[in-house]
Amino acid sequence: MHVVIINGSPRVRKDSNTEKIIAAFAKGLSEKGVTFETYAVSERKTWDSIRDAYIRNDEILIALPLYVECVPGLLLEFMETLPGKDTHTRLSFLLQSGFAEGCQLRCGEAFLEKLPEYLGVRYGGCLVKGDNFGIRILEEEKQAQVTGPYQAMGRLFAEGDGFLREEAKKFTGPENFPLPIRLLMGLIFKTLAKKMFQKAAASWGCSVPLDEKVWETSKD
Amino acid sequence: MVLMIDTTTRQIGKGIAKELLRSGRNAAGFELIDTTGMHISHCVGCNYCWLKTPGVCVIQDDYEPILRKMSTADQVWLVSDTHFGFVSWQTKNIVDRIMPLVTMYLKFKDGQMRHVMRYDHQPDLGIIYTGNGDQAYLERWCQRTALNLGSHSLGVFSESNGREAVSCML
Repeated sequence: MHVVIINGSPRVRKDSNTEKIIAAFAKGLSEKGVTFETYAVSERKTWDSIRDAYIRNDEILIALPLYVECVPGLLLEFMETLPGKDTHTRLSFLLQSGFAEGCQLRCGEAFLEKLPEYLGVRYGGCLVKGDNFGIRILEEEKQAQVTGPYQAMGRLFAEGDGFLREEAKKFTGPENFPLPIRLLMGLIFKTLAKKMFQKAAASWGCSVPLDEKVWETSKD
Repeated sequence: MVLMIDTTTRQIGKGIAKELLRSGRNAAGFELIDTTGMHISHCVGCNYCWLKTPGVCVIQDDYEPILRKMSTADQVWLVSDTHFGFVSWQTKNIVDRIMPLVTMYLKFKDGQMRHVMRYDHQPDLGIIYTGNGDQAYLERWCQRTALNLGSHSLGVFSESNGREAVSCML
């Protein structure tokens, strides 16, 4: 098996959480002797080569971050340039998000489920997982901890059933958090998390409150 | 104020605006933005509007005036062509870049994680589309997107039902 992996994130590759997830996933593929080539739609100059790879190959995986409940605008733009193919080609997706609960990604997943039909190709399933916001700002060791599970999903994908197996569906984790967890997390959001975000912002050179109302003209 | 943002190639917003003015329903003000010829980039996911320049997008193009208007509007109507049954990438880019209206801070609302909004006022959101839009999916997406803004969906209407959409405008 040879997989064309397309990073659908609009963020530059070096800072892309999706890129780090793909790296872990691809390790899993390699362990099973599956070869791959990777592309990124954030590099617009390479769109012709990505499209060629999509046309020439029959195992395609698009990995993407959830942007406002669906596919990022840039990836939509790229996909509109793809020619129709037939069902010898299988298109699978890896959808990741910042929000942690599975329910947050279902609207995006529903779009991806129908997309292969529009392109004339076969659907290979969608691996769905949240809680990835901070990957790029984590230290290397922690990063490996967060992306590690994707390596196992690479091994699973190498077995040939895309993401259609039960193990891939279970990978999402909880659809919602139970009330006690929500209460605890809610408390953390108001205290520790705020401090942590403010600290991260300071390290980026930000000196104003993160919830500053910059436009006074906005309606109360 | 009702704000209509038209990205369609046939610029159908004009006709809907005429219909609205003819109906005499709208007393709260109305504005149509036709994005033809405007430079509006996609969101690059830099997170600067949350963590480096809170509330301000670092991409300098024609988008900020649109976002300012969105932040004060009571209703925002996305007038969009459709591909893959969904809104066009031009419209999705406009929606992806609302992030300066959202802060990095988080909370739980109705059992789900949400970002805390930057401003107290949020616009409701509606869609008017051309072509073969997937009505059920667009409704779902519009509702979810409004949920993220802490507002409500005004509904999704095909171009041929534009009159119905007009009846939902203030």
